[in-house]
Amino acid sequence: MSIIQIENLKKAYDTNYVLKGINLNIEAGQIVGYIGPNGAGKSTTIKILCGITSDFEGNVSVMGLDVRKNPIEVKQKIGYIPELAALYEVLTPVEYLRFSGKLYNLEDDVITKKTNELLRLFDLQDKANTRMTSYSKGMKQKVLLISGLIHNPEIIFLDEPLSGLDANAVILVKEILSQLKKSGKTIFYSSHIMDVVEKISDRIVIIDKGEVKADGSFETLKANAHLGSLENIFTALTGGSEQHRSTANEFINVLNS
Amino acid sequence: MDKLILRFVLFFAKAFLKKDVDFEKLKIIAETKLIMDRRRVRVTMKKQSNKEPNNQLLMTLIVYCILGLFIGILVLTLKEIVITMTIIHSYILFMMAMTLITDFSSVLLDTTDNQIILPRPVNSKTFFVARLVHILVYLLQFTIALALFPIIFIFIGYGILVGLASLITILLTVMFAVFITYLLYGLILRISSEEKIKDIISGFQIVMTIIFAVGFQVVPRLINMENLKVSMPIHWYTYLLPPMWMANALQAVQQLHVDGPHFIMILLAVALPVFTFWVMIKFLAPSFAKKIAAMGNAGTQEEVVLNKAGQQTKGLSEKIAPIICVNKTEEAGFEMAWKMTARDKGFKIQFYPSLAYILVFVFIVVFKRGEDFANTWSTLSSTKSFLWCVYLPMFAISAAVSLIAFNENFAASWVYISRPLKLPGSMISGALKMLLVKFFTPIILVLFAFSYYVWGYKIIDDFLLGIFNSILVCLIIAHVGKSYLPFSMQPNVSQQSGKFVRVFIQMAIIGSLVGLHYLALKIWWLVAVLVPFSAAGCYFLFRTIQNYSWQKISG
Repeated sequence: MSIIQIENLKKAYDTNYVLKGINLNIEAGQIVGYIGPNGAGKSTTIKILCGITSDFEGNVSVMGLDVRKNPIEVKQKIGYIPELAALYEVLTPVEYLRFSGKLYNLEDDVITKKTNELLRLFDLQDKANTRMTSYSKGMKQKVLLISGLIHNPEIIFLDEPLSGLDANAVILVKEILSQLKKSGKTIFYSSHIMDVVEKISDRIVIIDKGEVKADGSFETLKANAHLGSLENIFTALTGGSEQHRSTANEFINVLNS
Repeated sequence: MDKLILRFVLFFAKAFLKKDVDFEKLKIIAETKLIMDRRRVRVTMKKQSNKEPNNQLLMTLIVYCILGLFIGILVLTLKEIVITMTIIHSYILFMMAMTLITDFSSVLLDTTDNQIILPRPVNSKTFFVARLVHILVYLLQFTIALALFPIIFIFIGYGILVGLASLITILLTVMFAVFITYLLYGLILRISSEEKIKDIISGFQIVMTIIFAVGFQVVPRLINMENLKVSMPIHWYTYLLPPMWMANALQAVQQLHVDGPHFIMILLAVALPVFTFWVMIKFLAPSFAKKIAAMGNAGTQEEVVLNKAGQQTKGLSEKIAPIICVNKTEEAGFEMAWKMTARDKGFKIQFYPSLAYILVFVFIVVFKRGEDFANTWSTLSSTKSFLWCVYLPMFAISAAVSLIAFNENFAASWVYISRPLKLPGSMISGALKMLLVKFFTPIILVLFAFSYYVWGYKIIDDFLLGIFNSILVCLIIAHVGKSYLPFSMQPNVSQQSGKFVRVFIQMAIIGSLVGLHYLALKIWWLVAVLVPFSAAGCYFLFRTIQNYSWQKISG
């Protein structure tokens, strides 16, 4: 049985449909790359799957649980890492992770142990007791990653998790995701960084304007589209390189005017 | 007004500085900075800021004008020139220094200039003069607001000669205030980090807000002081106090007589501010600018206490939370609210002045104006004034119940909806418990100790009932109307929503509970009998709030 089931998922803001009937079944232990241009509906899909948004049409279940009826149970089993989300920056990462861990009902000693270890692994041990007001974007992203994983979830939803991370941290996160997959976790991964998606995903779903444009492994997509890289496939499906070229030309013309 | 002053300052700048300064760029930089000044949320005007952001600077200037009016009246009521002028110049020196330290800190400590202007083709002289012009325009605005009425009254009270001389001494005082501010920042920068400076500035801002809140109560009372008619001879310490240099210099002008000590005073009044201002421009400001430029790059450290083993020590909140909270969510709410209220400037600026108000009000209502202090004190134990001590803390704490929902960093509240929170109400009850433990308990203990000293053991049951009634009021306020999770709402936008209804309900509840308590005093056993009822009400409401579902939460 699929660990994530999405049937005819639609979501509208006022009368504007941002998701227009998504159907997906995701098996346990897969890394699914979920890509699309800005405004395609990626974050909305993730928020629905995480039980954050309940106002939608269609059926969505995660680990056999209807997300509309059992959002709390779903949230307990999943980890959600949003893109560059705000943190209560006057807190230190240790304090923030303690706060977040308690909301997952973790015991104090478990939180303390995991927090210290995970901050060390992310090279944040020296800044563990520093308020996050002085943190860089990448450091905050690392704290977000830890806060979403601290309770060892079965499914992990990542919305642009590599934003702001330095090159070393990107490699580390990629490696962590691979290891998580090996340990049987399911990862639903939304990103703009094509080469990372291409390298780590077992399956790639491309959406545009609220609809699935392509779905399959990188090899399948490549064979179907007769194009060499994911970036080319993405461009062909979501807008076309011709349009980008003409916009760039226009831009240069305005600058020269 | 700032545009007019800018024109005035630019006119002089053009006359004196021709070389290497690009006046077109200088003008646009200064104008843009003044626009940003007008739109900046001002510390002392926090409450008005919701209405019209463009009026904030104007509102601050009006408040300064009103305070200046109060102080200016002294000129007409006190006839002793040295005392009057010392008070006026102290006021201007203090207000100017505080304004510069608090409000202007965003300009003095502004590192965005380095990112925004330095990469553009603006030469360093234009950049420096633009900064100076901006500071001058800003200073002149506040000087005019602060000193308008005092100067008018000096002209009326002491004539044209002293009036004109006071224009000079006030400008010299402002120059000295600028020097003091630079010196203070310089010293702090030398011994501390940027983050620490921000903390110190927040401290000053809170003190400033308290002074504003309390000042309006205290200053008008000071004006009636009749006993300030004594003369003030020159002592050794007079030479150390800048406002006294100014005052004695003006006395010399008034009497048209200069003796030895007055000559030294005039010399100090003129020479020192000019000299220190020169030192500031020549040495302090450039080194300061360098330090500020370095700030953007330097990492800042803000350490939490570590024990010898390098482990973070368990804070007080983490020790108390498991004792008084019923579940992990409530513990999280308690601990987080404890830490946030200690560090969040917005909360501190709005809440701490209301705590200061408690002391002022206790003083005002217990010791009434115009009555002999000794007489009031000796008859105090026969009055029912202890009820004020019982119920005044409730006003501050119940205001904090609403305040705790707001935070500049409200966007971080996404964490609540992404976590498996079955009963989000426990977050609210945790924060409420924090308010009661951290703020209410110490205040009520102090007031209880004072009341016990004055009235003796018979007020114990009154305090018990008062404590439960106060908690009850806080819980009712939290329960009635919209419920927000702690630190989840944007300040300004929703702060006013439903405020009138909330205040009305608050007043009605407080009025009826205090009234009931007052009536119960007539029957000796009734207060003690009411205690368990009030306690039961608290228990019931705590349980209700703890069990709020997501449907009850707004936002």
